[in-house]
Amino acid sequence: MADVVTGTFGGSDVDPEGAAAPQAQYRLMHEHSPVVRLDNMVLLARHDDVMHALRHPELFSSNMDAIDIGNVRPLIPLQIDPPDHVKFRRLLDPLFSPKEVAKLEPEVRRLVNELIDGFEAAGEVELSDQFAIPLPCTVFLALLGLPIEDLDLFLRFKDSIIRPVGDTPEAAKAVQSAAGQEIYAYFQKVVDARRVERRDDLISGFVAAEVDGHRLSDNDILDICYLFLLAGLDTVTASLTCAVAYLAAHPDRRDAISADLSLVPAAVEELLRWETPVPGVPRVAMTDVQIGGEQVREGDSVMCLLGAANIDASEFPDPDVVDLERPGNRHLAFGGGVHRCLGSHLARLEMRVALEELHRRLPDYALKAGETPRYTSGIRAVEYLPLVFTPVVQS
Amino acid sequence: MKVTVDGEVCTGHGRCYALAPDVYGPDDYGHCVVLHDEVGDDLLAQARAGADNCPERAISIQ
Repeated sequence: MADVVTGTFGGSDVDPEGAAAPQAQYRLMHEHSPVVRLDNMVLLARHDDVMHALRHPELFSSNMDAIDIGNVRPLIPLQIDPPDHVKFRRLLDPLFSPKEVAKLEPEVRRLVNELIDGFEAAGEVELSDQFAIPLPCTVFLALLGLPIEDLDLFLRFKDSIIRPVGDTPEAAKAVQSAAGQEIYAYFQKVVDARRVERRDDLISGFVAAEVDGHRLSDNDILDICYLFLLAGLDTVTASLTCAVAYLAAHPDRRDAISADLSLVPAAVEELLRWETPVPGVPRVAMTDVQIGGEQVREGDSVMCLLGAANIDASEFPDPDVVDLERPGNRHLAFGGGVHRCLGSHLARLEMRVALEELHRRLPDYALKAGETPRYTSGIRAVEYLPLVFTPVVQS
Repeated sequence: MKVTVDGEVCTGHGRCYALAPDVYGPDDYGHCVVLHDEVGDDLLAQARAGADNCPERAISIQ
């Protein structure tokens, strides 16, 4: 199946060049066929069509049929459609509002600087392993109140789900399902412990929380945590590495930011638009329905190509120009409609602080000579991003 | 000019109050609250920046 999370797209693996620069493929779709049917799947490229699908969950559902990522019950809130969806978002939205995540900024900045301290004297870094992977994972563990020693375990969990390795599709599926069971078991132990002794962390908050006068069940909490693990770790790593890889390849833009850090917030938005690290979100048609002139049948998969929508010329003037001061930027990198990314404000905070500190401390970073960044298919991360910079001498 | 937000359409992207904090603010869920129903010339550019960056097109200025 076409599934951007598990690494296939349009029914086949994306070639590495396509993963590094998918904009060319999206441009072809806009020019020739903005709605593409592949067997029982329809790909949407237009901003309007993508927005329409995202805004109508009663027609284009995000339920469990839309995507299979090793879970046995619907993930909360992603795979719950209205009206139940709103109950969970009313619980979760306040925890991830801009005001709430702003409280994390000092800790995120401390972590970012600690990671940079670890490699600044060397004059080079492999940014993915040494920075972009540990940063969101450490923030996530702290938020959920989990020990930092579990970092490697979490990385294995999320990699086994998002990029399962197996000799056959069935073997990969088995790896994914087994990891899914481990994730449920891990979080069940944590929930049990928090029911006995509450702490100042999110899982303790879930144990105490009520939705419509009912406490969350153990399964509700597991289904929230499972989604957080998948959504909160990989996507920030992907967004950070895509953004820095772009800037390293475009030194004029890097220099502009290094000279004026107030450009960072707008640069984050424009690089999210251009790179769109989560290239698409899957939906399933709940009924026979037309979209973008294409007849969709009940049960068809509908892939909303956020990356294609984000370079649609009908929405973005000069869509292929990366304009760090683009005045109107209605990008859909975090999706849209009721399932708009819950963690978007935390992701923005982590990206902003990371880019501010990287440009402040290592203003002349560049790709290491002779090396090529390596992009993953599915969620677009740069899993190999070797950079060099003027070493900083400790005084 | 009159600034309104459609609460049914806003899903809390938060672009408006990040870019135009004198015109828009967040409620407890991070959804948009218009701080001034009427804006003068001094705040019009901010009001427009919020509207032009709303992915849901939830904000109108008339």
